[in-house]
Amino acid sequence: MRMLPQSLVNKRGASPVRVVLTLAVVALLFFFPRLVESTYALHIMILIFISIIMGSSWNILGGYTGQYSVGHAAYFGVGAYMTMMLLQFKQIPPWYGMWAGMAAALLTALVIGTICFRLRGPYFVLASIAVAEIFRVTTLNLKEITNGAEGILATELPPLRIGGTVITDFLTKVPFYYAGLVCVLLIIAISLGVQHSKLGYYFQAIREDQDAAHSLGINLTVYKNAALAISAVFTSLAGSLYAIYVGFIDPTTVLALDLSVQIVLICIIGGIGTIFGPVIGALVLIPLSEALRSNVIAEGLIKSGLVNAESGVGTFLTDHLSHAHVLIYGILVVIVILYMPDGVLGFFSNLAAKRNRGNA
Amino acid sequence: MTIFLQSLISGILIGGVYALIGIGLTIIFGVMRVINFAHGDLLMLGMYATYFLFTLLGVDPFVSIVFTIPLMFLYGGVLQKVFINRILNSLPQNQILLTIGLGLIMSNAVMLAFTSDYKILTTSYSSGSVDILGISVSQPLVISFVITAAITALLYWFLLKTDTGQAIRATAQDREAAQLMGINVKRMSIIAFGLGASLAGTAGALISPTYYIFPQVGSSFTLKAFVITVLGGMGSIVGATLGGILIGIAESIGGVYLGSGWKEVIVFVLFLLVLLFKPSGLMGKSNA
Amino acid sequence: MAILEIKHVSKFFGGLAANSDVSFALEEGMIMGLIGPNGAGKTTLFNCITGYYPPSRGEILFKGRRMNGLNPDKVCKLGMARTWQKVRPLARMSVVDNVMVGALCRTNSLKTAREMAMEQIRVVRLEHRVNVAAGGLPIGERKKLEVARVLATRPELLLLDEVMGGLNPAESDEIIRLILEIRKSGITQMVIEHDMKAIMRISDRIVVLNSGEKLAEGNPSEIVSNPDVVAAYLGSEH
Repeated sequence: MRMLPQSLVNKRGASPVRVVLTLAVVALLFFFPRLVESTYALHIMILIFISIIMGSSWNILGGYTGQYSVGHAAYFGVGAYMTMMLLQFKQIPPWYGMWAGMAAALLTALVIGTICFRLRGPYFVLASIAVAEIFRVTTLNLKEITNGAEGILATELPPLRIGGTVITDFLTKVPFYYAGLVCVLLIIAISLGVQHSKLGYYFQAIREDQDAAHSLGINLTVYKNAALAISAVFTSLAGSLYAIYVGFIDPTTVLALDLSVQIVLICIIGGIGTIFGPVIGALVLIPLSEALRSNVIAEGLIKSGLVNAESGVGTFLTDHLSHAHVLIYGILVVIVILYMPDGVLGFFSNLAAKRNRGNA
Repeated sequence: MTIFLQSLISGILIGGVYALIGIGLTIIFGVMRVINFAHGDLLMLGMYATYFLFTLLGVDPFVSIVFTIPLMFLYGGVLQKVFINRILNSLPQNQILLTIGLGLIMSNAVMLAFTSDYKILTTSYSSGSVDILGISVSQPLVISFVITAAITALLYWFLLKTDTGQAIRATAQDREAAQLMGINVKRMSIIAFGLGASLAGTAGALISPTYYIFPQVGSSFTLKAFVITVLGGMGSIVGATLGGILIGIAESIGGVYLGSGWKEVIVFVLFLLVLLFKPSGLMGKSNA
Repeated sequence: MAILEIKHVSKFFGGLAANSDVSFALEEGMIMGLIGPNGAGKTTLFNCITGYYPPSRGEILFKGRRMNGLNPDKVCKLGMARTWQKVRPLARMSVVDNVMVGALCRTNSLKTAREMAMEQIRVVRLEHRVNVAAGGLPIGERKKLEVARVLATRPELLLLDEVMGGLNPAESDEIIRLILEIRKSGITQMVIEHDMKAIMRISDRIVVLNSGEKLAEGNPSEIVSNPDVVAAYLGSEH
């Protein structure tokens, strides 16, 4: 008889080893900017944090509740645009703007949810894409409000003051690092909270069988919308963070179908419906795409002598590999769906389970 | 009034090409219950094939379909055999993700090979126009519509009159029953995907004289294909034909009266409205 | 007092009548057997009663309250729960989590829900499967899980749709024991079943449906001796 994979068992309490280990990792992450001087390392960490936030947010709707939205760029874009528009056009600092973004995402989610949750399966997926596309095209067209295709460039971030003292003036990457880290811890805490509550049970029941869930007293509309609302609000937060960190947004980066796919990808690569799936997914995807973007891989292949720099392959790789990250995403999706439908986490835990059985 | 008629006619003409795209998607969905998110990318491949046949060998884009059709058929068949066939019993969301992944691979491989620069295919008649009932219409659109109509007629004949066509329709109606009746369901699936791919490729060839050609052109057509098939009822070929023409008209007229920037919004709003207000026919098989 | 009253209920799909003008009532604490040949409209009637679709005509009263148009979740909250002919385990959740989902209908606390769930798991005797994934259970245990899960919603009226279907005689006997035990706890039950022997044994009263209409109603001995029933029901079965 098949036992549940560890990741799907609802655990009661955590072992002391686990708690100590978790605390150690968190402490290490807090001291990381002091230990590592490299701004590039910080940059990568911040991107990983943003990916974890959006992946974990999607996971609440897609992973736990089983509603595969392929339109989450809509909420990411709402957060990013709200924050940037308020910052650039109304001089409202982003730490207020992000709340406006979250509120707008919540409102959007409730409207979209009421419309799209009447649909199931592939129709829901299609509707979620359509909604995100409506947002993208609308943003492109409302030039007076959004700057259209030109996008919005943040000229300057005001220093963050609390009671007259300057906390940070955002001149280095460190404040963004901590903002990202805090948000990551927050979304993980919220995911844990959801998983260990009535909400989490109801979400999973809806994922497994909507009709059965309905007959057991679960109001599908209410709980699906609750999952979407939580998911949308934190996706919007990731969007706000991204916008002020990068300092530039336009519809093709923050509202694109590619982004929606990438959000789903973070989860399916790591493992859908698990707390640490999105973390693993982000840890795999971001370093990989950054390595491709910065040509580290092509240079490495040439330096290691595997590929001759002068040869056709060598020049092709140095010229093109930096644009190949989306191609690699595509290949990863295909591999994961065909060979690791439970994600990397699930793949390795299944492998371990098999080995254990082999030894016994 | 002339403007209205003009946009109505060009809407119908471009709608014919949309119908081809929609019919391809609907055949694939009908036979395999898989929604092909790489459909627009197949169309994009058709565009590139046409472009290179024209620039390198000087083959006229409308003649080039003689090559693109079998080529794309083969390509579609291979895709089905190697990838799609293995996920026929997976969760619908995994099927969707797999085809999204395949689409990403196609568009980005093309981008790596040929850069993301826009390519334009200019023929002697690209900007020519024809008079229909005193209204001037783009010449390449008229030619492509005539070809579309011929292909659609041929396709209807194939599906209704030939044994293979009937076997495909039987498989679409009930896969298990078809199998029990001795129909080679696997072969039908390969043919269906091949057909879908070649229809998308043909559509790509037909629009290449009037559209920019670039690696990401597919995604907007993928979405349009969904709208068309959902509008007509998933799996219905007649529905897709009508849906394509309807979307062509909506886009064309909407573009004229609301500005071309908004015409995509019209399509998607239309899509959501259909999903919401005619869900009975649509929800039927979705709850697998 | 009648806990459930079905008054002139009809259900049409297109032009087809799945139920037409069906009326009967359930007294509190009884077991009502609902029988009839395949396609007689038994499951359709269950679906109408539990809110999966509204009846086209007629009225359904539960504890005197009109139920037409209420959603399944509301119906469950009001104290009427149903099982499914084709079992619907929450496959990737454990047995205890499945039953907890039912219990959470009455409590917001996971701790209480877990206790309530364990209680029902003991009633159906699945203690040895508590942490097993529901999707991996054999059919007999899935049926029991289904019963435990609806019991955890604390229903006053339980609608069981072929809980013995596909079971071997020993497993069926266990379900019969379970149904009788549930009656002792005061829960009213309506049971759809194909096994005539079983239904005769457990039912206080039986309603026979044929082609969507009520053919007969009475106690088991009246039903077996009713010539219409014998003709329609047994005639089509054998």
